[in-house]
Amino acid sequence: MFGQLWIKECKQTAKSLTYWLIILVLILDFATQLGGMEIMQKPKEGQEDYGWHTSNDKDIIMESTLGILAEEYNRESYTTYPIGFYKQVTLDESEDQKIAEILKEATGLDGRAEIDQKIEEWYGSQQDDSGQMTAPLALQPSKGLSYERFEELMDQADSILGGGSSYGAAYRKSNAQIPMTYEEALEEYHALLEKDKITGGYARLFSDYMVIFLGILPVFLSVARGLRDRRAGMQELIYTRKCPSIVIVASRYFAMLVMLILPVLMISLVPLSQCMAYGKAAALSVDMLAFVKYTFGWLVPTIMAVLAVGMFLTELTDTALAVLLQGAWWFVGLFSGSQDILHGGLYGWNLMPRHNTELNWAGYHSGFSQLAANRILYALSAIALVALTAFVYTMKRKGRLQIRGKILANRKSKSKA
Amino acid sequence: MAATIKIQNLNQYYGKKQALNSIDLIIETGMFGLLGRNGAGKTTLMKVLATLLPKSEGEIAVCGKNIEHAQSVRKIVGYLPQDFSMYPNMTVYEAMDYLGVLSGLSARQRRQRIPRLLQKVNLQDAQRKKVKALSGGMKRRLGIAQAILHNPKVLIVDEPTAGLDPEERVRFRNLLCEIAEERIVILSTHIVGDIEATCENIAVLDKGSIIYQGTVSDLIGLADGKVYSAEISKRELELLKKKYIVTSMLTLGNNVMVRFLADTQPFASARLCEPGAEDAYMYLMHTVGGEV
Repeated sequence: MFGQLWIKECKQTAKSLTYWLIILVLILDFATQLGGMEIMQKPKEGQEDYGWHTSNDKDIIMESTLGILAEEYNRESYTTYPIGFYKQVTLDESEDQKIAEILKEATGLDGRAEIDQKIEEWYGSQQDDSGQMTAPLALQPSKGLSYERFEELMDQADSILGGGSSYGAAYRKSNAQIPMTYEEALEEYHALLEKDKITGGYARLFSDYMVIFLGILPVFLSVARGLRDRRAGMQELIYTRKCPSIVIVASRYFAMLVMLILPVLMISLVPLSQCMAYGKAAALSVDMLAFVKYTFGWLVPTIMAVLAVGMFLTELTDTALAVLLQGAWWFVGLFSGSQDILHGGLYGWNLMPRHNTELNWAGYHSGFSQLAANRILYALSAIALVALTAFVYTMKRKGRLQIRGKILANRKSKSKA
Repeated sequence: MAATIKIQNLNQYYGKKQALNSIDLIIETGMFGLLGRNGAGKTTLMKVLATLLPKSEGEIAVCGKNIEHAQSVRKIVGYLPQDFSMYPNMTVYEAMDYLGVLSGLSARQRRQRIPRLLQKVNLQDAQRKKVKALSGGMKRRLGIAQAILHNPKVLIVDEPTAGLDPEERVRFRNLLCEIAEERIVILSTHIVGDIEATCENIAVLDKGSIIYQGTVSDLIGLADGKVYSAEISKRELELLKKKYIVTSMLTLGNNVMVRFLADTQPFASARLCEPGAEDAYMYLMHTVGGEV
């Protein structure tokens, strides 16, 4: 029964306008972001710059973080992302004093005048011929300041600022942005060719662009499917059939899932063919299955979660509420954290893990276990939500659950009042 | 397994409101009519029997299966809801095929049964038509076809003739009678004519209670000697309406031919008539008031 129903649901999805609009958006996303993709060329010695990367060196982390804190302290304005959203923080006198004390202990600089002088000295020495700054402010920590004490002080600063600042544990490490040397750039290039077999890096970049839209679009499909029965007056006809609820719900869910995976795989053939052509020309081996692996490992859990949220809330309320809630979640996920997470490696628990570069294999490698935990959590949560949807469906079939009527009644009584 | 529906002391509540009150019914093979005003509780009873509403109190066995075992009851019950509709963009065949899968029919069974059923409801030429292109009557016939697709022992049809033209209504009634030869068909309606033309056994619901249960001819017998007709002036009509239940009237120039209910001959020109089902139903609803 499941197989036959699944095929019928796939056909229904294929005939849905929402589905084709989603495909159109995905194609446009790909075309605008990766349409002109060029495979990275080998770095040459003497190049003007080789990009930036994050350092794990504790001294550099301390210097960079203290530099940012000193600059923000002097501006009397701090940038934070408390729940993922940008926030400008201004401190009152006592809080400002506490930051001054933290800076004094951490750098030995006492008050704004000394810090100002240090900043001027730094930028005076870091200008190139055209007057451009070549490196952000880095402040030497006080002699004898241990990394542990530095972390304590930065935690205090983060707490004063209300969390989400550059000084919190999650972001401290990413403050240490340093220019790549030729050797480092070459190492990244070799990692792309050898460890990622070219396609691995581009599959991550592809996933990064695709996951943004796949973090929201599937909800439209599942909401539309959920509401279709009620709009078509089919609910009672289906409810009175012998087919178990789990079969009905699961067939719909997996039909939508497969129908969404298909266009993603199809689109991935374009960058795959580019990588293959590059590999062939350079006589390099290419991982032909990388895009498939990343689609299933990186993108499918997001699609699963978004579809499941849409399905569950639509079945529960018989409304399009899921679009609103998923939209909010998507917004928070998209703008959560600083720009540093874009570089990859800091995957956290974001619904849409980011890795906006074909490079940084090392970051991917070091963050892999977090990424895997993230993806497994979303996939399992989605399955649990589908099971819960089947339970809600069963309750509705038996007439034991009718939330929509209550929502409407509540809305009417409020409007009367 | 006996093709019988047994309902014992069924009570149904929506919050504090009682929608069905101590319903006791035994329904056997053939057409069974459920008559009552709008809001009498017919749809509630139909939904309980179709497993769409959980019963609040009482016992129901559908062909020996306890109604609480919804899964097993759904296998033997077909349902045509009051507001019947299907996915508008599906063709007639696709819609039937989809519901056939949900009913657990194999591909082979569906291939055999769907054309046969569409022929039975005279929709064989509309197989490839989209559901949204069907007329009201065609949709109702499709509704019947989908409801008997899995060959159920019980067919529940709720207000099936509402909105149909007279010809479609007659065709639809005949179709139901054909189907009822081998199964229980419960027809719920507030249109007395539909019941009179199709059902031998009926129950009349009023405010959630059964106020009559028996044959249509016995129901008509209740109004024996109570139905009069008279030709009166239009001026006298208002007065008559205040005193008696008028079951029908026909304007004849300045006069009106009325048919009304009265215990004894009300005036000399009033003539005693043979009662019809509609007269008897009106008599029951307004005079007997639930006491049979």
